[in-house]
Formats: sequence, C-alpha cells, structure tokens
Amino acid sequence: MLLSIILIFSVFGAVVFSVSQKISKEMSASAIQNLSESLDLIQSTIEAILHSETEFQTLIAREIARADDPMAYILAYEKNQTMAKLSLILTGETEGLSNTGERFTEEDLDFSAGGTISGLPVSQSYVNYMGTWSYTVKCPVERAGQEIGTLYAEYVYDAIDQSLPAEGFYNKQASLYIMDAQSQRFVLKPKGMGKRSAGHLNLTDFYRANDIQDPAIQAEVANCLSEGRNVLFYHDIREVHALNYMWAVNGGTIFLVGYVPVESIQQEGRTVNQNIMIVVASLLAAFSLCIALYYLNWKQQEKLRREREEERQLHSQQLAQALQAAQIASKSKTTFLSNMSHDIRTPMNAVLGFTTLLARDAENPVKVREYTNKITASGQHLLSLINDILDISKIESGKVVLNLEEFALENVLSSVDAIIQPMAKAKGQQFHLEVTGVRHEYLVGDETRLNQILINLLSNAVKYTPEGGNIWFRVTALKQRSSQYEHIRIEVEDDGYGMTPEYLETIFDAFTRAENSTTNKVQGTGLGMAITKNIVELMGGTIEVFSQIDKGSLFRVDLELRVVDTPAGAAGGHSETEPEEAADLTGMHFLAAEDNEINGEILSELLEIEGASCEIAVNGQLAVERFQASAPGEFDAILMDVQMPVMNGHEAARAIRSLDREDAKVIPIIAMTANAFAEDEKAALAAGMDAHVPKPLNMELLKKVLQHIIGRKD
Amino acid sequence: MKAHKIRSWTAACLAAVTVLSLVSCGGHEIPTNLLSQDEGAKRVVNLFSPMEKSNPNAENVARTAADLTISMAEERLGVTVDYCTYTAEDYQDKTYDDVALERARNNMDDLYLLNPDTILALGAEGKLMDLSGLDSAKNLREIIRVANTVDGRLVAIPQEVVAYGLFVNADLFRQYGLDLPGTQEEFLECCRVFQENGIETPIGANRWWLETFVLAIAYADLYNGGNTEAEIAALNSGEARYSDYMRPGFEFLQTLIDNGYVDARKALVSEAIEGEGADFLAGKTPIVMAYWGAANTETAYGKTDFEMQVIGFPSGRGQMPVIPMTGWAVGAQAEHAEDAIRVMDIILSDEALQLFSETNRVISPSKNVKVDCAPALRPLNDRIEEGVYVLGSNAGMNVEQWGNTCLIVRQLLGGATVDECMASFDQLQDAALNQ
Repeated sequence: MLLSIILIFSVFGAVVFSVSQKISKEMSASAIQNLSESLDLIQSTIEAILHSETEFQTLIAREIARADDPMAYILAYEKNQTMAKLSLILTGETEGLSNTGERFTEEDLDFSAGGTISGLPVSQSYVNYMGTWSYTVKCPVERAGQEIGTLYAEYVYDAIDQSLPAEGFYNKQASLYIMDAQSQRFVLKPKGMGKRSAGHLNLTDFYRANDIQDPAIQAEVANCLSEGRNVLFYHDIREVHALNYMWAVNGGTIFLVGYVPVESIQQEGRTVNQNIMIVVASLLAAFSLCIALYYLNWKQQEKLRREREEERQLHSQQLAQALQAAQIASKSKTTFLSNMSHDIRTPMNAVLGFTTLLARDAENPVKVREYTNKITASGQHLLSLINDILDISKIESGKVVLNLEEFALENVLSSVDAIIQPMAKAKGQQFHLEVTGVRHEYLVGDETRLNQILINLLSNAVKYTPEGGNIWFRVTALKQRSSQYEHIRIEVEDDGYGMTPEYLETIFDAFTRAENSTTNKVQGTGLGMAITKNIVELMGGTIEVFSQIDKGSLFRVDLELRVVDTPAGAAGGHSETEPEEAADLTGMHFLAAEDNEINGEILSELLEIEGASCEIAVNGQLAVERFQASAPGEFDAILMDVQMPVMNGHEAARAIRSLDREDAKVIPIIAMTANAFAEDEKAALAAGMDAHVPKPLNMELLKKVLQHIIGRKD
Repeated sequence: MKAHKIRSWTAACLAAVTVLSLVSCGGHEIPTNLLSQDEGAKRVVNLFSPMEKSNPNAENVARTAADLTISMAEERLGVTVDYCTYTAEDYQDKTYDDVALERARNNMDDLYLLNPDTILALGAEGKLMDLSGLDSAKNLREIIRVANTVDGRLVAIPQEVVAYGLFVNADLFRQYGLDLPGTQEEFLECCRVFQENGIETPIGANRWWLETFVLAIAYADLYNGGNTEAEIAALNSGEARYSDYMRPGFEFLQTLIDNGYVDARKALVSEAIEGEGADFLAGKTPIVMAYWGAANTETAYGKTDFEMQVIGFPSGRGQMPVIPMTGWAVGAQAEHAEDAIRVMDIILSDEALQLFSETNRVISPSKNVKVDCAPALRPLNDRIEEGVYVLGSNAGMNVEQWGNTCLIVRQLLGGATVDECMASFDQLQDAALNQ
C-alpha cells in the first residue's frame, strides 16, 4: 500500500516536474523573444532618429552649398532640441565657425572609431557645452560635385530620450542606458525616482555595481561590443533574477544596455505558474485527503475485522474450553460414577452379605453381634459417602451459607487432634501439632466448616501416608492486616505418597481422585478437596498445595477470621463443652409421624429396644389429629418426619403448636429427616420444632437430644 | 462516529472549494476599450544632482534621505521628479561642477543640487531663482541664509549643514599613545609618530578636500574672533588680502607634502573617497578628511572595523569644523519653474528636513529641527554646537572660496609654490575688486 502511494506520488511528481520544466523552458524562450522584440523596436526607433538626423543634415549641407555665403548660413542657424550646434570648416582650412559664433576645430572630436550613420562619420560621445551627452556627425558640403567644406552637426542624446517610451518598458521595471561603444560611457540614463541606481557611469561601473564578475560573460560582452553583435544573458541584479542585455544600435556605434527582471517579462507566466501550483497543490491535497480517508476507513475496517476475529477466537476458545470442560466433567462424572459404584457396592455388599449371614446365624448371639457391628460400619461408610456427595452439590450450586459464630480456636484444634491422633496412631504415624503466635483465642467463623476443612486435610494426610510416616499440623499467626482480623496460616504436611504434577492440577476439581496402585487401596468420594477448597474460598481464604511424588505433600490454607474482643462464653466457663448425658427412654411413649412403613418399623423396634414405645401416624395430618385426640401427657414427645404426603412435618409442627391445649406448646417435637443440613435444622426450628435429628436414626444422638430438651424445659 | 464526522466535514469542505472555484472561474464583462485611460498630462520636474559610484547592494543613507523627501513632494504635488546625474569618470573628465554650470547656463533642468562655488557663480550670473519667498526659507538658521544670499537674493537652500572634519582611526592613535590633535603643531607631531612607526603617508587625500585644512587655518580667527563682518568688509574692499589669510594654511599644507604626510601626486588624481577610502577602512591610513554624512553611510565610512572619531581640522583655535554650503537651487528660466518651486517648498519644509535629518543623522539647516548625531561625530558636533567653526563658503565674500581654494590647492599639489598660489588669490581678489 505504502509503496503504491509512494509510486503514485513519484509518478505524479515526475509529471509535474517535467511539465514545469517544459513550461519554464518555454517561458524562458518566450521571455527572451519578448525582450528581443522590445529591444528591436527601440533599436529601430533610435536608428530611425539617427537616419532622420543625418538626412536632415545632408539637406542642410546642400542648402549651404547653394548659399552664397556658407558661413553666414551657419551663423544664422539657431540651435534646437535635437541639433545643439552646427559648425562648418571650409575645405583647405583647419578651423571653422559654429552657429554660436565660436571658433570651431575638429581637434576635440574623435572620429577614430570609424562609426557612421547613413554613411556619414559619427564621433565618439562627449559632454557638450550644455553639460549633456552628445555626438557630432560630419557631412561633406559639395557644390557642383566638388567638396567645399565639412558640415559638423552636434546632436544631443536627450533628443533620443524623448523618443523612447516615456514610462520605460516592462512596467518601468526595465532599466535602459545608452552606451557609446567606443568609450563604453553611459550617455543616456533612466530618469525618475528609483532610477538613480548605481552603475550609471560606464560599463565597468555597471559590472561592478551589479556584481557581474563572471569572466566568461565579460569576454562574451567584449566580443559582441567589438563585433557589433547583441548579447543577452541571465544575471541576478540585487538578488532578482534578471535578463541583462547589450543591444547594438546603428551597427554597434552605440548600445542599449540594461536589465529587466524576468518576472516583469513573464507577468502572465508568473500567474500561470501560480495557478499551476495552486492546481497541483489542490490535486495533491485532494489526493492526500483521499488517501487519508481511505486509510482511515481501512484502519477502521481492519480494527472491526480484528475485533471480530478476536471475538471469534475467544468464542472458539470458550467453546473449546467448554467442550473440554464438558468432556472432563463427563469423564470425571463417569469416573465418579464408576468409583461410586465401586465404593457403594463395596459396603452394600458387606451389608447384604452380613444380612445373609445374620439370617443364617440368627441363633448365635456372638455371630449376630459381630455381623450387626460390621453392617453398622458399612452403613456408616455409605452415609459419609452420601453426605459428601450432597455437600459438594450444595456448595457448587451456591446454596451453602456460612454459620458465623464465636468459637475458641483451641477447642477446634483439640477436637481435631482428638479425631486425627487416634487415626494416625492406628496407622503407626507420628502426628505433630504446632501452634505458633496466635494472638486471639476467640474468633468468629463457621466452626463446623472449619472443622470440616481441617478434618478433610488431615484425614487425607493420614489416608495418603503409609504406615510409620509423619504428619505435621501447623497453625501459625501471620502478620495482621487489620487489628479486627486474625490472619492465620494452616499447614498440613506429610511425607507420604505425594502427587504427580498432573494430578495437582486437578486436585481441587470435583469427582477426581488420585489413581495409582497405592491409593486405590484408599476409599473415598474424591470430593473432599473440592469441598475443602470451596469452603476456604467461601471464607475469603486461599488454599495452595505443594507436592512431590514419594516425598509428601503440603497443603497451605490462609484465612482471616474476625477477632472477638470479649467472647460471650469466656466468662461462663466451659459448661457447653461438658459431655451431655443421654436420656433414659425407658417407659416413654412417642408419637411418630413417618410415611415410610419400614422406617416406622425400625423406629418402633429401636425404641422398643430402649424400653420405649411409639405410635406411628403415616402423615402429618394424622399426627396432628392423633395428638389432638390424645390425652394430656399421653405422649412424651413427637418424632416428626418432614417429607410426608398430605401434610409435611413443618406444617404439622405448626399445627400442633397452634392447638389449643396446654401441652401443645411444650411437647417436644423432634424433626427426624433425611434432609440433614444446617438449613434443614433451621427450617425445623422455625416451624416450632425443638430439635433436629438426621436420618439414619442414631439412637444415642436421639437420646442426647431428648435429654437436652427435657433438661431445658425442666 | 468520529470517522463519520470527519467524512462529513471533508465532504462539506470539498463542496465549498468546488463552489468557490466555479464562482472564481466566472466570466467578467469585457470593456469596449481595453486600455485604461490616463488622467491628465504628466507633470515633470527635472532635477540635476550628483551621484557617487557605488558598490553592489550598499546602502546610501544620504541618497535615501534625499529620495524620501523627493518622494514626499511627488506624492503631495502629483508631479514626477526626473533625475539627471553626472559623474566624472576620472580627473580628466569635466567635473560635476563644470557640468552643473553648463546645464544651468543652458536651462537644461529645473532643480539643481549645487556646490558652494557653483551657487555663487550661478547666483552672480542671475541663473538661479530667488527663494526668499518660500515658506520653508523662514525657518532657516541665519548662518545658512547669509552663506547662500548673493546680491540680496537667497539663491540656494541646503537640506543639511555639511560640516567637514578629520576622520581618524582612534584605535591607531591609542596604539601609538597619541591624543587627538587640536593645533597644527600637535597634528604634525601625530603625523611624525605615525610615520616613524611605519605609516609612511598618515593622511589619505583626494583632489577635492585638502582645501579644508587651508580654510580652517585661514579663517579660524575671522569667524571666531568676534570681528567677522569687519574683516570680511576689509577683504571685500581690498584693505585686507585673501592671500594673507590663506598663506599659513598653504604653508602648512606644503609642510605636510614636504614631509610626505600627504602624497600630493596621488591626491591630485584621486576622486573623493575612492582614492583614500580603502586604505582608511583597512586601517592603513589613520587620517582622512570627509563630510559629515560620510560617517553615516556605508558607501563611505559608516561601517568601520575600528573606533572612528570625527574631529575638526587643526587650527590656531584648536579643532575646527569647516562648513561649506551645498544647496538646492531652481533655474531662473526653468521650464517647469512653478512646480520646481513647489517641490523646493516641500523638500525643505521642517517636516521633510526632520525626515531627512533623522534618516541621515545630520545637522539640519532649519532652526526647528534637531536630531542626535552618530557617536563618532560627537567631537565635531560639540564644536559646532559651541559655535566654533569656519564657513567653507560665504556669499558675502566677493571672492568665492570653496571652489577657488580647491583649484589653487591643486596647483600646490601639482608643484606650484606657496607664493605662486598666493598670487592666484591676489589675482582673483583684484579681478573681484575690478568688477
């Protein structure tokens, strides 16, 4: 593009240059021709005057020849503007007489140059008695074919001046001198203001004043002067480009000398040149404008194209990423399902297997106890699997809300230590707990979730560290960025199996699990780290992992937790932390709302084992009606399932609380639901229930809850 | 959006240019007669004035100053002043004064710029018009009026008081520990020191201006002794002899020649400034003589590489300026006398003289015009302001001084004795007395 523009400009410039050169040459030729014509005209005029003068002089000579007394004729002659003096020297004499009455000789006149006018000898120019430049022409006076004398007529150059253009020529810009060729004196000069310029004296003075110092020019001029030829040359006069001329008149006895600025000759040429320049400049401007507009347009189009291209690439990239993510997700979920299938089937196999064995060995109490214990363990494992799956799905859907409460960091660490220490010990591992520089004991945060983070990290460490290995659990206070927040760093390090760099990239993705021969021995949902990372981020913290295969791993969590200045529980001792005794259910009678027949049966059996009894209502409505119909104190508490046909647990609890009976407000109502999350507990409490116990039912937990409620109401 | 705006503006500009181009290309009505008609006949005043040879592009302040006033007259009167000039090619040519006399006697021109001797000669012949009636004549300094009055007629008025002085290279005087001279003795001592230090010819001279030495010495007492009118009256009556006044000056000049301080042979054939100017400007010659305006114009000594001072000529009364009177005159039978007189009235008005004096930085003949002079001219100016000077010409003397003294000095330069020169003065005085 640039090259094309340069090429076009070059071609255009070359064309303009050649045209201007051509015009310049033609104008120069025209100027020379123009000036030559003007000078020819002036030359012709002067020559006509000279010839008229000599013709007139010849006539006078004839008159004198005819006169009886030639001298009397001379004396009678009166000078005029052209002929200043008339003199006669008779043949054979050296002295004559002038019309002024003075004696006249030829001594003061110089005819040596040999110049003539119409064949009559003309003298060198001189300043005459009137103080003006003049010349004398001599003419023979013949009578009857015999010369009787010579007539001398003195002419002044002023007469020629009067015949020249009064206003000069070329708009008064041309200077015009008349130079006597023999003496090279300037005998007629321009008049008027500004004409008293230097170089008025003679040719040498003209050269000097106008700085014409080129020897070649001076030599050419000298040649032309001697040969009576015209000469025209360019030479700048006072920094103005000018044509200089020496124009022969009367065969070269006198010369027209001067200069004229070229611009004065080429006035129209200058206008033409200016117009050409304007047109060329306009064309160039228009062309440049077009180029600029084209360039702007092109640039804009290019910008749009680039933006579109970038957008398209971004879309492609996003699509590719989405596809890849979908593929990875699909693969992950396939892997997950495969893992889950394996992980669920394994305990399920145990449950069903031991159930079969239980049926066979029902009569053997030792076997029964052993089988039921194993069935319980497998069930607990299945439950933890389900809990994790539900947890991650909730976190990913953004439904998790942190439950911010005051807690003592020391308590958290103690409880974690109490859980992990035995696990590590069981695998023969060394567990090291280090707490450094923590300034505030009481902090605000979701204690349960913090526990979850720590347990996840530490249980993983235990899980992925071989027997005899080491696990370090470090809690370090970092520099506080605000006095209101404690900045803590939690590090869990082990010298276990470690992870490959590839796995490290996906460790925090859901549904992934390290796959190798060693870890395959470890069961898990593969959701633990994803859950951990999500919770950390939910808390506004960061989590990093460093690992080398066979050397171990380091998980680093940075958290900022708000500081509690005066912890609520600080002054009241540690009553909450004391373990609560479980209630004795013996002789207690419960109303249970449970739509699932098997669950109802299990509940009845379990309560029966504890020496209690229950009455099952298959939906909320029936439960309400049954309670309404019951005698006061008939039921010790109501166990309420939540998801039920006709009327759910929440509605039923509200209905019961709204009943107009004394015990309707106080009777313990305990939610028993598979909806096991904190929100579910909140919803249950909001509906007027006293507590929440998740399914599968843990009798110990139920007893503790009941004890708590009863104790509180007492 | 921005691009759209640019495009809109560009389109609007191009449209405007197109419309303007079309309008400008529109035709005009062609008049029947293509020639513009001149208004009335051209009025011309012919002026004869000298002009020096000049270097290319040199600025001639004096000429510029005169041209400005002429231009003022042309503009106000609607006339054209045509210059006619003459310059002698060399000493063998007719002088400007010769030609001026011939032209005035033959009524060739209307206005003339004349030297003092020419003024007196032509004034005495009745060839010059009486200018005393001009408004501009009323503002003249008395000295000017007296010096240009011939037979009771004011025949010429100058645009400047032309004072002659010695132009000295002050650096060279300082170099040789010399004070600027005041008396003839001091002057001779300076020349001696210069010569001893290798400057063989300390004084640059030409065939025109050596007379200033003579006039300064001759008339220092006459013009500054308090008895001027009586002394001039004695000269005019023949009781006193011009030769007695002139002799000390000529003898002094002879001493300068004899000691080689002046090259008489070279001076005799040298034109003013042409002959001696180059060496003075080159720092080879410490002393030349010239007129006031030469210190202001680049064509003379207006631009020197050394410190130049202009002082008066040596005399018994110290440094002595010499003031001849050049002036403008109108031919008594001038073809365009009426317009010539009007031109004179304008170019000699206070306004024109103020312009002239400011441009040329000279002493004005009008008592109403005063301008500061160039620093180099202060010594000369101070003497004139003190009233100490010698007139180079005086129409009140019956023997013309400026031209005659010049010619007789040339005799001395040509080898004549002082006595022979004095005899020439006596002849002139006798001739005047006989008239």
